[in-house]
Amino acid sequence: MTTAAEEPTGAVPPVPQHFPADREREELTTAEKMEQVWADPPGVVGWFKALQNDSIGVRLMMTAFLFFILGGINALLMRVQLANAESTFMSPQRYNELFTMHGSTMMFLFAVPMMEGFAILLLPLILGNREMPFPRLGVFSWFTMILGGLLFYSSFIAGTVPDTGWFAYVPLSGPIYSPGIELDYWLLALGVAEVAAIAAGVEIILAILRMRAPGMSLGRMPVYAWAMLVMAFSILFAFTPLVVGSLLLELDRRLGTQYFNPEAAGSPIMWQHLFWIFGHPEVYLQFVPAAGIVSMVVPIFSRRSLSGYTLVVIALVATGFLSFGLWVHHMFTVGLPQISMTFFAAAGMIIGIPAGIQTIAWITTIFTGRPVFKTPFLFIIGFLVTFVLGGITGIMVSSVPFDWQVHDSYFVVAHFHYVLIGGVTFPVFAGIYYWTPKFTGRLLDERLGKLHFWLFFIGFNLAFFPMHISGFLGMARRVYTYQEELGVETLNLLSTVGAFIMAAGVAVFIANFLYSRRNGQPAGNNPWNADTLEWATTSPAPNYGFAHLPIVRSRHPLWEQTGIEEEDEVLGDTTNTERMLQALSEWPLRWRAALVTGAINGEPVEIFRVSGPSIWPAVAGIALVAIFGAEVFSLHWLAYLGIAVVIISFIGWHWPDRIPFTEKEREFEEQFNIRVHPTAALRSAVGAWRWRSCSWRLPLAASCLATSTFAWRTRSGRRRAFRRWTFSSPALPQRCWFWRY
Amino acid sequence: MGALDEPDIAEELVIEVEGKQWWWDVRYPELGFRTANEIHIPVGEPVAIKLLAEDVIHSFWVPQLHGKLDMIPGHVNEFWLEASEPGIYLGECAEFCGDQHAKMQFLVIAEEEEAFRAWVAQQQQPAAVPASELAQEGQEIFLGSTCINCHAIEGTGATGELGPDLTHLASRRTLAAGTVPNNRGNLGGWIVAPQSIKPGSLMPATEMTGPQLQALLAYLETLE
Repeated sequence: MTTAAEEPTGAVPPVPQHFPADREREELTTAEKMEQVWADPPGVVGWFKALQNDSIGVRLMMTAFLFFILGGINALLMRVQLANAESTFMSPQRYNELFTMHGSTMMFLFAVPMMEGFAILLLPLILGNREMPFPRLGVFSWFTMILGGLLFYSSFIAGTVPDTGWFAYVPLSGPIYSPGIELDYWLLALGVAEVAAIAAGVEIILAILRMRAPGMSLGRMPVYAWAMLVMAFSILFAFTPLVVGSLLLELDRRLGTQYFNPEAAGSPIMWQHLFWIFGHPEVYLQFVPAAGIVSMVVPIFSRRSLSGYTLVVIALVATGFLSFGLWVHHMFTVGLPQISMTFFAAAGMIIGIPAGIQTIAWITTIFTGRPVFKTPFLFIIGFLVTFVLGGITGIMVSSVPFDWQVHDSYFVVAHFHYVLIGGVTFPVFAGIYYWTPKFTGRLLDERLGKLHFWLFFIGFNLAFFPMHISGFLGMARRVYTYQEELGVETLNLLSTVGAFIMAAGVAVFIANFLYSRRNGQPAGNNPWNADTLEWATTSPAPNYGFAHLPIVRSRHPLWEQTGIEEEDEVLGDTTNTERMLQALSEWPLRWRAALVTGAINGEPVEIFRVSGPSIWPAVAGIALVAIFGAEVFSLHWLAYLGIAVVIISFIGWHWPDRIPFTEKEREFEEQFNIRVHPTAALRSAVGAWRWRSCSWRLPLAASCLATSTFAWRTRSGRRRAFRRWTFSSPALPQRCWFWRY
Repeated sequence: MGALDEPDIAEELVIEVEGKQWWWDVRYPELGFRTANEIHIPVGEPVAIKLLAEDVIHSFWVPQLHGKLDMIPGHVNEFWLEASEPGIYLGECAEFCGDQHAKMQFLVIAEEEEAFRAWVAQQQQPAAVPASELAQEGQEIFLGSTCINCHAIEGTGATGELGPDLTHLASRRTLAAGTVPNNRGNLGGWIVAPQSIKPGSLMPATEMTGPQLQALLAYLETLE
């Protein structure tokens, strides 16, 4: 790419050419109407009904950040315990609880919701559309996620904190060795949070594939959207085996099935397969969206376009696919056949290739650009340094003999914190510094931002670099203490100091955020002189995103797009599209009209109505968590009640509130040759389903299936006589190697 | 990877190590004895190790000698262990296995052929018959208490299998799977208050008077 960005002026950049000034006057007359149609309802009840992508996205991110703080506090307490040898700061039991909560929180309640919040908040603006396709699903996801998370943490109040690690290996987590309700908290509370992740994933996929600005073909889509697409698909395929595994383990624990009991020919190794076929993609589905953020921020601060766009996109998609083929990476010490270890070792090394492609693309962009070292960019540099280090140790541990030595030692702890904090948390902070001005209208403070970065970066390396060495010296993971003779006391003290410096960095960030929300420098529309569509609207962005949808003719619309008259290769007769968008910005102001575009080309396909505020998604989310919560305590009546409420609220959720198809809509259809659906059915998007009421019958059928499983389970739970299914002979024939090991 | 180098298993020494919460049951089936938390091997010879687990998953790791291999209930893992230098190597459990995962350690003691044979010969003997009066009293206390529910001493009536075999307890270097050195003070503390040394350990505290404890310790110290 030879087109360099314009020099950032610091002031408000020129209004992009496709929003001519004379049109803005007309919008002012309609802006208030737009706001009325799109704004969330006021008041307390309105808060439960609110479904704007801004509010749901921010809520998801805030909730994820809350859990980030809680998980961080767990970590700090653990570091205090490990600061010196043979410490008696806490009991072994407490330590085991803390590392279980720390891992589970960061993996399930921080990283995934944070990335999904980012996606829901930003995608409509980045893609140049008005809203997410199923905003009610977003509401449901948020309520399920926060309540599931709080249910999980309520185990601290009950004094029954899960204590078998975030991986919950059987038989330790089975009914014999964890007889209390600790593991039921883990399985059911996190299980319901997983439902939230899947729900948001569905929404994100559809938003990216069917709700882009006209003209935004796949090749013009920002890398961020590609990354979120890969993440959302990975969520669907990765969380499903985990939900299945959790269900089987819960059946083992409560109903007496023997899926994982070795004494009845069950297989504890099957749990490991089920867990890691989720667990390995899980770490990549955190890294992929973070890489998307990096690919957005790097070019802006290097003041040039991203080098190797196509290769970066291929790398993201390849990462998504490959991540499902290397879960045995975590099981090299299980004693598997040589052939499967060789296969997965090779897969573990191959996935270094897409990561390497992206890293080289970013470095090339920086070296051939003219970098500006603002806070977001500092976090990107921090990311590059730490992620490359973590990547190198990742290649090391994918070598089987090396892994035998360092597996489950502090070397691995160092490795995955370099990858997850380096590869996820640094980019998340970069993204927050980069995009916050779009939503608060004010820039975050630079001096505090730099202080935050340096504290976090130095603290991080001080905390985690010594762990490589303590791992080599023989310090195993998940130990509540170690003996002085091991020679790792100084290293551990350094780690503890580093952890507290990191925490200070996070405190500075919070202070910066609170301060800058009110007192920050006004941002203007495009403070970074960026190229993507979200910077074309005002900051803060209006609820409806874009009144007049932009037409995209370039991968960098704000940098490269000039005249509006030219014919577009994707859209054909651009003038017609242009007139249609103009009409769309003025006409259907009594319902929430959004444009559905073709998955490949981004050509306009239809106008559909995005569903409006409703209390039912919140009710459904609350009731769903109530079912899972009730099951923790075996309150079957409450579970039944929850099932009834979920069914009722799903019906209410999908109850058709039809808006009549008037003459105006018909005129619009005929004039612009595009279908208009004011009846809230994203019919083109779901393909060939032409059946009118399908939109509510399908979820109803799914929920009936799900709830009947619970009903069966709770009923059988009462029949104590059949409680335990036993097998007379454990000497069953050897099964296929793949399942046995 | 090294498949061709593996020696013929029939000719070699086989040691069974079974992981339990939170200690190691070590058996020499061909040589006919059982010990705990200490594995003696001859230097310079590959020894076949069979890994088993009784309750939950553990993982066998001697950082200086070999990488990890998991011990999984219902499944046997085998590998070869070889020490080229004589010495005492620290081993530990590398898979989280519950409360006291951190204090589940063992020693691998690599000895020259002669020393190893001597050790084997000693371990094959039944327990020493107490000579002193105090030790005899201690034996009676042991056999009359709940100790025998879990512990075995060859040649006496104690045949419990839940806890470590105590036939040659005094010959071992550590107590409670590497938690503390094996000496009189620690042994007394371990019998009376195991939960303060290793909280969560499956060994219950045993109430006894001072003289009773002295007698018991005198007996246990004869078990070389």
